[in-house]
Amino acid sequence: MNIDIKIPEFSESISEGTVSTWIRKVGDHVDEGETLVEIETDKVVLEIPSPATGVIEKIIKDENEIVNSHEVIGQLSESSQNIAQNNQLDSDDKGVVSENNANNKSDNYKKTGPSVRKLIEEKNVDIASISATGKNNRITKQDVLVAYSKDQQSNLSQSSIDVANRNNEIERVPMSGLRKKISDRLVAAQQEYAMLTTFNEVNMSQILSIRSKNKDKFLEQHGVKLGFMSFFVLAAIEALKEYPVYNASVEGSDIVYHRYINVGIAVSAERGLVVPVVRNADAKSLSSIELEINKLAAKARENKLSIDELTGGTFTITNGGVFGSMLSTPIINPPQSAILGMHAIEKRPIVEGDEIKIAPMMYMALSYDHRIIDGREAVLFLSHVKRIIEDPIQLLLHL
Amino acid sequence: MKKSNFDVVVIGAGPAGYVCAIRCAQLGLTVACVDAWSDKNNKPSPGGTCLNVGCIPSKALLDSSHHYSFLTNYAAVHGITTKECDIDIAKMLQRKNKIVKTLTTGVKGLLKKNKVTFVHGIASIKSAKEVHITKSDGDQVLVAESIVIATGSKPLELGFLSVDQKQIIDSSAALELGKVPGHLGVIGAGVIGLEMASVWSRLGAKVTIWEAEDQFLPMVDKDVAKQASKIILSQGFDVQLNSKVQAVIKNKKSVTVTVLGAEGESQTEVDCLLVAIGRVANTENLGLSDLGLAQDSRGFVEVDAQWKTNIEGIYAIGDVIGGAMLAHKGSEEGVAVAEQLTNQHGHVNYAAIPWIIYTWPEIAWVGDTEQQLQIDNVDYKTGSFPFTALGRARAMGDTEGMIKFIADANTDRLLSVHIIGPSASELIAEAVVAIESELTAADLARTIHGHPTLAEGMHEAALDLDGRAIHY
Repeated sequence: MNIDIKIPEFSESISEGTVSTWIRKVGDHVDEGETLVEIETDKVVLEIPSPATGVIEKIIKDENEIVNSHEVIGQLSESSQNIAQNNQLDSDDKGVVSENNANNKSDNYKKTGPSVRKLIEEKNVDIASISATGKNNRITKQDVLVAYSKDQQSNLSQSSIDVANRNNEIERVPMSGLRKKISDRLVAAQQEYAMLTTFNEVNMSQILSIRSKNKDKFLEQHGVKLGFMSFFVLAAIEALKEYPVYNASVEGSDIVYHRYINVGIAVSAERGLVVPVVRNADAKSLSSIELEINKLAAKARENKLSIDELTGGTFTITNGGVFGSMLSTPIINPPQSAILGMHAIEKRPIVEGDEIKIAPMMYMALSYDHRIIDGREAVLFLSHVKRIIEDPIQLLLHL
Repeated sequence: MKKSNFDVVVIGAGPAGYVCAIRCAQLGLTVACVDAWSDKNNKPSPGGTCLNVGCIPSKALLDSSHHYSFLTNYAAVHGITTKECDIDIAKMLQRKNKIVKTLTTGVKGLLKKNKVTFVHGIASIKSAKEVHITKSDGDQVLVAESIVIATGSKPLELGFLSVDQKQIIDSSAALELGKVPGHLGVIGAGVIGLEMASVWSRLGAKVTIWEAEDQFLPMVDKDVAKQASKIILSQGFDVQLNSKVQAVIKNKKSVTVTVLGAEGESQTEVDCLLVAIGRVANTENLGLSDLGLAQDSRGFVEVDAQWKTNIEGIYAIGDVIGGAMLAHKGSEEGVAVAEQLTNQHGHVNYAAIPWIIYTWPEIAWVGDTEQQLQIDNVDYKTGSFPFTALGRARAMGDTEGMIKFIADANTDRLLSVHIIGPSASELIAEAVVAIESELTAADLARTIHGHPTLAEGMHEAALDLDGRAIHY
């Protein structure tokens, strides 16, 4: 009996996806629930599990093809092995049946041994991508090496896609769904928005000393390292409360003010930039914000973010400082109206009173939509953030 | 002071340390191995607790006492009668010491063969790159890229009781008793307590063991523990569970032990009292606290999954990191760290470590006990086979005990094997290979085993998992 492999219902905000990787190939024996194929959408990568145990009969949508909700992308046939087993269950010879059961069951997992496991670790090969040729579904050393060389080849061939259009100097690679979406959005923001950036600098010595004084206790108490980001989130929230227009968005000729503050945190993942959202950040404590950012960032790196975690942001913070950026102009994440950019902390000479001192300094950048935000407010917003970061006690006093 | 440079300095030449040093050398690293152990002539005696006062000497005495026990108790049924059967303890200890000497000399030879620089002295770690050695012929500094701590463990002492190694002894002195004590008291019915109790009771001592736990061999599979308490406890030593030693008074020629048991307090007079309540990390002189190296509350060095301590470049392996205090576990960690240092993947499968207790019959197991699998909610099935049904066991006259297999109920993958019986220590090796290789019970059931052997019991237990044992 053939069973369809189908795309599940995409959520409202996703129109289509791209077949990213077929993890299993035609002819592979697969177990129910095992991941067959990865579908990339503009927001997340979906793993499609096998609907049943059997053999992959047909792949209808190849890699890089566009797919929609409920579309059939392949077919599975119930394995002949299972059918044979069912026939044997009718047999009178009980001993044989139970032994065969044991053998079939033992086929359910790929067996390895210690030296093979060592090789898998060293070559960093995904065990799911190895086809086992040994007795009773056993992975041999040779199988690992074959899978490894396939990995290497596919890496090579990926970089040489579309050979015909390539001369010696260029290399043409189709954008992934996610990359395309990022590109469309950024261009749209540049075209539709009256985008402007204002800068300020902030003395980080207070935050650094709070952090070094409390980092061990904080880690012990909350199970997460005390970072800078949560301070900036809190400072931004104070400024957003003061200047609610930063938390608003433009819809047609209306300005929509949000009563809640959902702060998006830009995270660089392997597949591209994603912006998971800390919801109702204004109702959260510093430690819970820090914890949530950590969780979201970890999920982002593993491509495990859900759509919910990626949508609904009202303001964004991006930290180019983690890569050492000194100064940049961040692009607004539509339909939001502003984005705060953090940068690298560097010791710089500053003038305090009439003396030159060394202080850990950071440049901040605030890009905003000039259609609804005036320059004066932009400067004030940023200096509000600066004031809090330089004297965090203000957070307590809500000054 | 003399300074020498190495890729790796391994501190400790026990089964973890010397194996690590040799593996490092095999992989092309320059290695120094430092060890402080001295024999009676103050000569170096590498091999650690295992070779000097642990695994090896205890097995020598277990085998000697087993022969004596055979001659006096079991030879007759084989048609062998002895007129007189005497024990020459001095000779027995001499034989044991000679074995230790041969093997420790062997370790020295192995280190030399592999071009490991052996340093006899006391090590203290000055920094992540520097080890200071105090030794009789002038101190020395070893500079290393990586340092491996493998200093092992030592017997844990009871707070109120100081070991004098004459009347109140630890496991090391229990291997050196000049005569068979009339009555040997043992605190702790763990592996060491039971093995020493076996030796001296076979040689004629009355033995009483006090165990604070209310269960006999709680770490052993419940079916094996049940058989063990039946078989081993009928061998002439008395194990009192749920018994806490409250006070110990040294008399001129005896020791009075006050024990709080289930039925209240009682006093027993013994000639000699062995304290075998466990082992703690041996980190004296290493200077770990000055260094800021993280240790847990019991002094064991804390390491991550790659045996890294909290200080970059310093690793720790073997007993000193706690966990299973087994020579073979330490050795495997030594190999793994060495391979890691040369950018390979270090492999130690903690789920496939064999455990052995050298009573007779022996107890051996690998993998989780049935009670643990129940706690973990694993869907499993069991099979077992008694030695009474084995031709070879009958021929040997060793028919006590059984083999128990546990496999995953869904995949048939072998999860654990538990044995009490003759040569369990050797039989378990097959099970370890099977588990490490992720074999199913059906795989073993389909493997031909020689006849007549004790290993047939393994075959039959595997068959029994499928309800098709032939001989039972």
